[in-house]
Amino acid sequence: MSESKRRVVFVVGSGRSGTSTMAGALQALGMHVPQPEVRADETNPKGFAESKWVVDLHHELLQRWHVQVSDARPGAWYETGKASASGITRARLTEWLGPQFKEAQVTAQGEEPAIDELVIKDPRLAWFLGLWKSAALRTDAQPSYVTMLRHVTEVVGSKQRYYSQATNARQTTTGSHVQRTAAWVNMMLHTERATRDGTRAFVRYDDLLTDWTVPVFRLGQELDLEAVKSASANSIRAVHQFIDPDLKRVQATWADVPVPARLQELAESTWEGLAKLAEPGGDTPDVHALLDEVRAAYVEFYDEAEAVAQSSVVAARREGRQQASEERQPPPATFTSRARNKIRRTLGQ
Amino acid sequence: MAATEVSTGSTSGEPDPADFPIRWAWEEGPLTPGLSCVFRVKNEARNLPWVLPPMFDAVDHVVLVDNGSDDGTAEVAQQVAEQHGATDRFTLRSYPFRVARAGAEHLRTPPDSVHSLTYFYNWSFSHVRTSYSMKWDGDMVLTAEGVELLRDLSWQLEDSDAVVAIPRHPMSVESESVAWLDLGYRFLEPWVYPMGPEFTFVKAFEWEVREFPPSSERIVAPEGMCVELKWLDQDEFAHWSHTEFDPVRTPRKARELEVMRALHEGRPEDVEGLTRIEAPPGVHVVDYVTRQWMQLEPRPLTLRLELAEADRPVRR
Repeated sequence: MSESKRRVVFVVGSGRSGTSTMAGALQALGMHVPQPEVRADETNPKGFAESKWVVDLHHELLQRWHVQVSDARPGAWYETGKASASGITRARLTEWLGPQFKEAQVTAQGEEPAIDELVIKDPRLAWFLGLWKSAALRTDAQPSYVTMLRHVTEVVGSKQRYYSQATNARQTTTGSHVQRTAAWVNMMLHTERATRDGTRAFVRYDDLLTDWTVPVFRLGQELDLEAVKSASANSIRAVHQFIDPDLKRVQATWADVPVPARLQELAESTWEGLAKLAEPGGDTPDVHALLDEVRAAYVEFYDEAEAVAQSSVVAARREGRQQASEERQPPPATFTSRARNKIRRTLGQ
Repeated sequence: MAATEVSTGSTSGEPDPADFPIRWAWEEGPLTPGLSCVFRVKNEARNLPWVLPPMFDAVDHVVLVDNGSDDGTAEVAQQVAEQHGATDRFTLRSYPFRVARAGAEHLRTPPDSVHSLTYFYNWSFSHVRTSYSMKWDGDMVLTAEGVELLRDLSWQLEDSDAVVAIPRHPMSVESESVAWLDLGYRFLEPWVYPMGPEFTFVKAFEWEVREFPPSSERIVAPEGMCVELKWLDQDEFAHWSHTEFDPVRTPRKARELEVMRALHEGRPEDVEGLTRIEAPPGVHVVDYVTRQWMQLEPRPLTLRLELAEADRPVRR
């Protein structure tokens, strides 16, 4: 019914899949990333194209609902689903999102163009798509989703290389490979499910690096993005300067990412299904049904693994409880305070 | 393809209760993932063209049980399902018994009688094959945001055992372009439940209620997810056995009656929270409210008059 020109593109997918490259390209073409942004670092020298407010909000919600950015639990989607259904959080997000759109205006500094098209990107974003959909509707903007696809072994290899310092010291490399692969399967299957009824596109990281003009032109058409459809020569040059084909610095295979055979099989089935969605005309009910089957198989696999590891869970919980109780106990009184108390008792005070 | 099932099993030509047993799907095998919506309706032909399309967009399957309509409800429902390309996700059934009206008549009827609301609900829900189900009324229209919420819940709730309560906003339609939305109170009711033996219907005083174990988590959906249509040219209380409502036991019905009387008597300003909405030319007010107005209206939507004054939200 609404003929609003407002658009919000949500760039989703696992971290290290080219989400920053995609969001940065859309930004270079004239779409707006709400400011201020997270500063570039050595893991992403060209910048993240991530709004700091968005990252902070997601971080806060994930903490509150006990969900990790890379969480392998299928049940984590229920937790973040509850967070996304909160009326208070929906109102809070809407209050922030509304003013990000701006009418064109003339100021003392000159003419400021209207801001009608936004890009929101954060590796945590997929957990809260329901929340963002609601904020888009409430600000009269049409939401759409771009899911970046990169093979799981490259993603896990890249995470191992760039995030290894953040890994729990007690976790073995094999253990983190398994956890990261499982988290990738969980993230990608449920991101597909969450975006299924919306306007969406899937872009392979390889395609973006090989010749970005092809997938990005298609996005402009399919997601109806004015900034892309009417991109100037200057902004196209800017994207060429921004996208570096050498970005694909990690090329790993299953030989580099050893995981149990069943998990590898599930990850491969997930990849094959998602790759079909990236083909022109490939987003069909048959592929959805296939991915539903893989999702059900993953839930079964995870439930089994969780049951097997139940003793570790119980032990970790006990250890945590003991640690918390030790931290709560007051420190032993110092000699001076003990002496002072003794004198007070003696004096009857 | 949907099937219409009307049974007249007894020799007298009257329907035979034995032809309407309650056989739960979970007794026959595992349920499929997803959310089904169950409508039990009588003479809702006027509302269904607004009610059904957004529901088809929101859930995996729709079950509609017609209870003795004489306004073509079943035909309209089938037609809407066809127009929406949803016949493979639609089950149409007919329940031929006269069902006791809410209130005193319901209280007098044993719950295992085919004339009981309790039996009628359980029989209707026994057609659900998915792991989650929701009841819905034939006059409740999802908003655009409500559609998105249910779409998400249809896969997020899986195995959670949670129950979802959704506020409804009564909307009295005066004409094609004008309606009155009651934003005075927030009437909250659980609509979405898992399927299973712990989640069946039992008898309450005025109507049926759905059971759920105390361990079930309760999720409260935000305001603005659906409106309940009332037509000012229609008797909204025909299905009640009396129209004197106890404001303590049935506050929602008492409020509806107050709103309806005020509008009929031309004094809408007497009712706090009653909001007049006028659609732009060429757009029906139901479409306008559910697809545009409701999303763009600042939150909180309702005055929450049911709360003590100090606890009410501050509206902008």
